[in-house]
Amino acid sequence: MTRHHPDSIQLMEYSAGNLSEPHALCIRLHLNECALCRSRVDTLDSLGAVMMEQQPKVSVSESMFDSILAKIDSDPAPQPVIETAPRISILQKLLGDDINNLPWKRQLGDVSVLDITEKFPGQKEQVVLQKLVSGGKAPAHTHRGTETTIVLQGAFADQKGVFNQWDFVVLTDQDEHKPVAVGCEDCITLSVLSAPVKLTGTFTRMLNPFIR
Amino acid sequence: MISRTNLNHATVEERPVTTLDKKPAHGEGRKDPWSQLLVKVGKSQDRQAYHSLFEHFAPQLKYYAMANGMASHAEELVQEVFVSIWRRASLYDWHKAAASTWIFTIARNQRIDMLRKMRRTSAEMQVETEDLWQIPGEDENEPITSLHRLMSERRVRDSLKNLPEEQITVIAKVYMEQKSHQMVADELNIPLGTVKSRVRLALNKLKVILQDQNV
Repeated sequence: MTRHHPDSIQLMEYSAGNLSEPHALCIRLHLNECALCRSRVDTLDSLGAVMMEQQPKVSVSESMFDSILAKIDSDPAPQPVIETAPRISILQKLLGDDINNLPWKRQLGDVSVLDITEKFPGQKEQVVLQKLVSGGKAPAHTHRGTETTIVLQGAFADQKGVFNQWDFVVLTDQDEHKPVAVGCEDCITLSVLSAPVKLTGTFTRMLNPFIR
Repeated sequence: MISRTNLNHATVEERPVTTLDKKPAHGEGRKDPWSQLLVKVGKSQDRQAYHSLFEHFAPQLKYYAMANGMASHAEELVQEVFVSIWRRASLYDWHKAAASTWIFTIARNQRIDMLRKMRRTSAEMQVETEDLWQIPGEDENEPITSLHRLMSERRVRDSLKNLPEEQITVIAKVYMEQKSHQMVADELNIPLGTVKSRVRLALNKLKVILQDQNV
């Protein structure tokens, strides 16, 4: 069970549909595994419905309903059936089968990264997968912007606590930590970076959520 | 096809009376009238019920589209939402969401989808809008929360009555105008922290905020 959740304001931006695709992905991956946050989003979706109901109404053109009926009638499959078979998970869609066998790029010591920004065309943020080998430590680093991270596999620990699979964490330039991958699996995270990482020390190569 | 005039005639008896507009969740059973109508559309492709839903929700949806800066596509959005309602109605489960909540999420997804498609080709979109934003009750296993879900819209409506106007204003801008909290702060010329605390106060009343966490 996850212990670190998105805050209510992030969930509200999600429910309102105001988040970028990469940020929505982080929230959605968490929601898939967290019944508590799903019920919070249910309430927020209801809030959206009630807000819409309380706003002004604008009348639609006279002919619209007929156009809609015409569209429905012209549909080759009038019986509304949408496939209910289990869908492929979002991660599988994005990355293929096994996140451990991706073309990881070895970075600093125990850290590997894979930039998947190109899978989200037209978005401003950088989207990066990171892997910290089991028991591995990441060097120190800071960020200029905000980094939203969700743990996809394994767990890491820092002075703020232990972050397990599907835990959600937002880090800003105020935060500082020295993450260590705990448990017997490599720790893999998905991070959305609103601004490039500011590297401290002599490392200038790569941004990395373990490195802050 | 049933003509519009006939439909209007036929629906007089069945349509929820207008007073329910104001307080649909009170005084009736567990299902509100709009959810009952939506169930009819799903079960028997009931066009009268569908038309009643259209009369009620289309003007709301058009305002939603316009407030979101889609003025030139507002009617297109309304139309797409209603076609989608028809096609998905058989998947609607009133245990899992009130009709208005379900329709709101369809409208939200349709808006996101239209904006995404304006910006790029579909070949570029590896992730579908509904992979990211879910319609309640579809493609999920939710064994015991249905009571919570049923209560949620009623509770929201009741709680909203007691919220100060300044809190409702901020929430309305986030939901209706697609504004981030930062944009709301800029527009109202108040600090971001004030906007967030107004929202948190409101969400606290709506019990969205986790009690056991300082989030």
